[in-house]
Amino acid sequence: MRGGNNYQIKRERIIKLIVVLLILVMAMSIVLLVENMLASFVIAFVISYLLSPLVSLLERTGLSRNMAVVIPFLGVGTILTAAIYILIPVIDHQLASIRSEIPTYIEGTTRLISKTEQYLNEFAGAFHKFDIATTVQNKLVQWSASIFQNIPTLLSKFFTVSLLAPLFAFFMLRDGKGLFLKLLELVPNNLFELALHLQHQINSQLGGFVRARLLESAIVGGVVWVGLASIGFPYSLLLGITAAITNLIPYIGPFIGAVPTVILAFVNQTSGMTLTLVAIVYLVSQIIDMVVIIPLVVARIVNLHPVTVILAIIIGSEIMGILGMIISIPITSIIKLTGVSIYNHLLGFRASDRV
Amino acid sequence: MINYIWEFIFNKKTASGSIQTALKNSYLFSQLNSRELRFVEKIVHIRQYRASEIVFRQGEIGVGMYIIAKGSIDIFQERGENSSEGEEEQVHITRLSEGTFFGELSLVEENGCRSATACAQEDSTLIGFFKPDLLEVLERNPVIGVKITFKLAEILGQRLRATTEKVSQLRSHIRSNTAPREMSAQ
Repeated sequence: MRGGNNYQIKRERIIKLIVVLLILVMAMSIVLLVENMLASFVIAFVISYLLSPLVSLLERTGLSRNMAVVIPFLGVGTILTAAIYILIPVIDHQLASIRSEIPTYIEGTTRLISKTEQYLNEFAGAFHKFDIATTVQNKLVQWSASIFQNIPTLLSKFFTVSLLAPLFAFFMLRDGKGLFLKLLELVPNNLFELALHLQHQINSQLGGFVRARLLESAIVGGVVWVGLASIGFPYSLLLGITAAITNLIPYIGPFIGAVPTVILAFVNQTSGMTLTLVAIVYLVSQIIDMVVIIPLVVARIVNLHPVTVILAIIIGSEIMGILGMIISIPITSIIKLTGVSIYNHLLGFRASDRV
Repeated sequence: MINYIWEFIFNKKTASGSIQTALKNSYLFSQLNSRELRFVEKIVHIRQYRASEIVFRQGEIGVGMYIIAKGSIDIFQERGENSSEGEEEQVHITRLSEGTFFGELSLVEENGCRSATACAQEDSTLIGFFKPDLLEVLERNPVIGVKITFKLAEILGQRLRATTEKVSQLRSHIRSNTAPREMSAQ
């Protein structure tokens, strides 16, 4: 093949590659360094992945892309407002109940602590004297002080994210494709098909993963809510919501979700029968999750070894706390997919290293 | 770099017109009306290639097809290593000109490899239409998707018929060549 233009072609490819990498690094820096940007983007991605099938469905009826994006946002906004109106009195009632029963819980907790202290001192009193009450009191004072200090920051974070995330999701759904095409125009010709193929794979895997995980969490939360409500356990809705959110963290999440219920049960000095029923509720929710939802929905989408998953969760929690634990699996999956694709592409090119 | 930005900004309008014409003239999109062509135009990828630049190589995993909007493309087949120079021997198969397309088999194959190497013979503009794009069209506008898929099936059917004819021609050619030899051997 002719080699006259080779130098020019290589030069153009390098310039384009540098421009694309610079754009990606800048975008990543903004997302990681600007406050609230990461959480807003993660939630925006989740919203856009959830709504994209609905947007496509509306487009199929003949609506323009703009209208097909606006209608789901209006619909979801209305449903959320209605849900908040319906759920707020229930949550408010449960919170008011917690407030009114705080003295009982304090009494229960004190009793639990003193009993535990008594048992421990009976066992190991000769070697060490336990003073759990003082330790717990100090911890509680520190904890409540930090909560009150952090409330303004948390509230401002919450409002910023809840404003930015839907806004980003709206533009992702409306202009995402166009922006991606513009970025692809800058990708050098020799990497273009690889980039397109990779984006398609990541997009379909991530979309499936997000939808599957949210469905899984909603089912687990629903089972816990209904189960606890049917045995007459207090704050079933709040505990169901907690179980749904923590279930997003693989392996460890279900245990974290059960902790408030267990504490509540011990503090309330719940009977052995109720305690067994509570355990059955959580067990049933996890059996449904492990036997039905994970094999049928989640495992088919992300093919990662359990050890990789646990390592990813630990690294995620070290870097970004709870958010890191939740997003560690999709990020690991993207890294694996990108690594494998680039490796295969490079191997393919090693055979004939020409322009 | 400056040239690239210059071309990118100022050639946009003319490019858009010629892209629609190129799509309309392509057999795959020939059944689409102007509204449907505008929809497809927002999905396809416009790529510029310098003379002698490789579009794709034989053996690479193919993602989709290209329509030649401007310029011409040479198709080569790599035939193992040339022992004297240690380079792969290339056999020129054909030269494709404006309006034609190539690589369409990748639209329906799962991780199918390119059967030949495509290289720009002169500075060329190609319209890329890939499997993710076809899936997107089918999901967002099934009417357009079905029209394109039907045409694609037609193209592949024609290719299959041509290949079958060629195979039977070759077979009869081989038979007619081997029969007299067998007769003379007896």
